[in-house]
Amino acid sequence: MEIEFQRVGKKYESGHDALSQVSFHLRQGEMAFLTGHSGAGKSTLMKLIMMIERQTTGTILVDGVDLRTLGKHAIPYHRRRVGVVFQNHQLLFDRSVFHNVALPLQVSGADDGQTGKRVRAALDKVGLLGKEKLNPMALSGGEQQRIGIARAVVNKPQLLLADEPTGNLDPRLSAEIMNLFQEFNRVGVTVMVASHDLALVARMRHRVLTLNQGRMVNDGGFA
Amino acid sequence: MARPPQQRSAAQRGATRQAHSAKQKPAWRAQGFDFKLYLRQHQAFLIESLTRLLGHPLASAMTIMVIAISLSLPGGLFVLLKNVQSVTDRWEQQSVISLYLFSQLEDTEALSLSHQLSSRADVLSVEYISKEEGLRYFEQSSGYEQIMSTLPENPLPIVLKVIPKAIVDLNTLPDLQALRDHLQSLPQVEYAQLDAEWLQRLATMISFGERFVYAISALLVIAVLLIVGNTIRMAVESRRDEVLVMKLVGATNSYIRRPFLYMGFWFGVLGGLFASICILMLSWWVSSPAEQLIELYHAGFELQSFNAVEIIMCLTISAVIGVFGSWVAVSRHIRDIELQ
Repeated sequence: MEIEFQRVGKKYESGHDALSQVSFHLRQGEMAFLTGHSGAGKSTLMKLIMMIERQTTGTILVDGVDLRTLGKHAIPYHRRRVGVVFQNHQLLFDRSVFHNVALPLQVSGADDGQTGKRVRAALDKVGLLGKEKLNPMALSGGEQQRIGIARAVVNKPQLLLADEPTGNLDPRLSAEIMNLFQEFNRVGVTVMVASHDLALVARMRHRVLTLNQGRMVNDGGFA
Repeated sequence: MARPPQQRSAAQRGATRQAHSAKQKPAWRAQGFDFKLYLRQHQAFLIESLTRLLGHPLASAMTIMVIAISLSLPGGLFVLLKNVQSVTDRWEQQSVISLYLFSQLEDTEALSLSHQLSSRADVLSVEYISKEEGLRYFEQSSGYEQIMSTLPENPLPIVLKVIPKAIVDLNTLPDLQALRDHLQSLPQVEYAQLDAEWLQRLATMISFGERFVYAISALLVIAVLLIVGNTIRMAVESRRDEVLVMKLVGATNSYIRRPFLYMGFWFGVLGGLFASICILMLSWWVSSPAEQLIELYHAGFELQSFNAVEIIMCLTISAVIGVFGSWVAVSRHIRDIELQ
C-alpha cells in the first residue's frame, strides 16, 4: 500500500494546528519511522491515515484513492486493509489471547477454520504460539505488545502502522519488537512506526520522517 | 529501503489501476456476500448474547421481570375483555322490537301492517296484540284492575311485537338498531322499542374497556421500550473498550450493533414468556370464583385464558419491542462512541 500526503493540515476545533503543510510519499513496501517530540503530530498523522480524524486541508492518497472521496460507510473496509498497533487501544482482558488476535478476522467475517489457522500463524510470527489460551493479563508487557502486533497483522494488511510500540519496554525488548516490524516489511508490507526513541530509530537504518510542531522538518536520511 | 525504479513504477501503475477500479465499484462493495456465513454469524451472536445475559443472572432477571410485569397487565386486561365478549356472544337471546301504534289507527290497518312486516326477510314473526289483549295483560300483570275499570275507554294502543331473525348479541346489535330505526320511521308507528338496552350499555362499556386496554398497553409498551433501551445502553457502556477496538479493526456499525440487538431480542422474548406464565397463573387463580359467578347467570360457560396463538403473539410482540428498544438505544450510542 502506498501513502501520499499533499500539503495536509489538521486544525482541531480548539484552534490548535496539529499538522500543517505536511507532504510526503510512502511507497509500496517501504518502511519509515516517524519521530518528533510529544505533541508534534505523530499520532494525528496516523489517525488521518486510519480515518479516525479527517484532515482540514490538503489531500491524502492511499493507493491513489483520495480519502476524502470515501464516505462513512467505507471507513470500516478501509481500516481492514491497515494493521495498527496503537498504545491506547490495546487488548481486551475479558477473553483469551486467541480471541484478541482473532477479532479483526471475526469482524471481517472469516470462517472458523481459516480464523484458527491465521491466528496461530500470527501468534507464531510474534513467538507466542503456546500462549493462545491464556488471558492477556497473565502475560508480561512485552508479550502483551506482541499480542497487539499479532492482532495487527492477522488480517495480512498491506500497511502496518505502529504508534510508540516500544513505549514502556526495556531496550532489549524494544529492539525485538522493531525487528518484528522489519520482518513484516521484508515480505512486502508497507510499515510506518512512530517513535521518539531516536537512538533505536537510528540503529534501524530506515527512512525517517521528523515532525516538529505539526510541520515536517526532515524527510529522508537516517536520523 | 529503496527499490529498483522499474519495480516502483510497476507498483504505482498497480495503484492507479486499483484507484480506477475503486471509482467504478467501491472496494467495500466489491466483496461477495456469503449468505451462509452471514447466517452462521447470526447464530453465533444469538447464542453469545444469551450466554452474556445468563452471565449476569440477577441483573438480567430483574430486567426480564420488570418487562414481564409490564406486559402482563395489558395481557391480563385483554383476557378479561375476551371473556366478557364471549359471555355476551353466548347469550343467544331472542330480541324483540315492540311497535306502539298510533291509537287512532284502525284494527284492519294495523293487521295489514303486521302482515307486511312479517313478510320482511329480516323478521321471523310478528305478534299482534290488540287493545283488548293489551288491557288483559296489563290488568293481570300490574294489579291495577280497579283503576283501569274507572277509565272511560281503553287507553292502550295496538302493539306489534316484531321478532327479528337475528339473535341479539354484540355483532348483530347495529343491524337490530337499524331495523328499529326503520320501523320507527313508519307512519303508523308512534314508538318503536328495541328490547336490548342492557346490551347497548354493555357494548358501550366494552368499547370503553377496549380503549382503556389500548391506552394502558401503549403506555406500558413505551415503558418496556425505555427499560430495554436503558439496559442495552448500560451494556454498551460497559463494553466501551470492546466497541472501540472493534471500530479500530474495521467493524461496521451494524456488526457492532448486532449482539446488542440480540440481547434486546432475548430480553423481549423472555419477558414475554414470563408475562404469559403470569397471565396463565392469574387466570387459573381467578377461574373457580369467576366460573361460580358466571354460572349464577348463565350455564355452560368456560373461562378462557391465553391460548397457544395468543402466547405466540405475546412472544412475538415482546420480541419486536425488545429489538426495537435496543436498536434505538444502541444506534445512538454506538455512533457516539468514536475513536479518538
